[in-house]
Amino acid sequence: MDITLRAVVLFLFMYLLTRVIGRRELSSLQPFDLILLIVLGDTIQQGLTQDDYSVTGAVIAVGTIAGLQVLTSWGAFRFPWLRRVLDGHPIVLVEDGNVIEKNLRRERLTIDDLTEQARANQVTSLEDVQWAIFEPSGSISFIPKQ
Amino acid sequence: MADIPDAIVLKRDRDLEGRQHDIWVRRALLGLVVAVPVIALFNVFGQRPDTHTLVGPAASMKIYAPARLRGGLLYEGRFHITARQDIKDAYLVLGPGWAEGMSINTIEPSPVSEASNSGRLSFELGHIGAGKSYILFMQFQVNPTNVALGRKQTVWLNDGDERLLTFSRDITVFP
Repeated sequence: MDITLRAVVLFLFMYLLTRVIGRRELSSLQPFDLILLIVLGDTIQQGLTQDDYSVTGAVIAVGTIAGLQVLTSWGAFRFPWLRRVLDGHPIVLVEDGNVIEKNLRRERLTIDDLTEQARANQVTSLEDVQWAIFEPSGSISFIPKQ
Repeated sequence: MADIPDAIVLKRDRDLEGRQHDIWVRRALLGLVVAVPVIALFNVFGQRPDTHTLVGPAASMKIYAPARLRGGLLYEGRFHITARQDIKDAYLVLGPGWAEGMSINTIEPSPVSEASNSGRLSFELGHIGAGKSYILFMQFQVNPTNVALGRKQTVWLNDGDERLLTFSRDITVFP
């Protein structure tokens, strides 16, 4: 029972964390972010199973997390209001070549971040972009002008 | 105006209408997440030992042990007894709260004898001459499944059957 409760608490905490730290941090996986993810996983594991080295314990922990993940994705699919809470909505960053500064600031993005992502998407100038949209996943979609 | 991508609602996704408060909800939740480690700096979630000093006519005792713990934590309990008069046969008696859900890894120096005194742990320390000190070190580990709120931890110092000092406190064990 203990491991199930621990898994539920830690899953909810991690979900909250990924929602509140912002998409910017989630979208850019720099080498340091990768190390941070590994450290995070290791830290969580200790609080999750502690000194339980059994297969049963691992099955309970993984089963709980998998079940909660399916439950949240089903909830997001079934209820639009929950989808908004769990995933959020996209945000328009560029319209018709014009950068919407207010929306950039809101997501703690700089023009440099935006142009870097544009280059990664084979876009040389933001003036050529009809729409740039910051997706809930943390990636930026660029739709060029026709 | 150029075609708007499917599922994009300009009022909502460009002008952020109805989403002005979202950022403050996010900031408030982030504040809560950050508040936990900040609060932890003030020993709210434990580990830092407390020192309690008891003084009686026959002896004084300093108890050095944390009152807030977490599952799996290793910690020390130190009992520093100073005899103000000759104590012929000192006994340090610990209430069951000291052992409940804890592993006792080491007791140094080893007591002369150990026994149960009505469910309490009784350690015979032997003779402590007037003006002399005796320090008993105990190393504990909190069992990972141990959770406690307001659990009593009591300590008695006896000379044979005579009670010299009594101390009691409540401990919290966080999951």
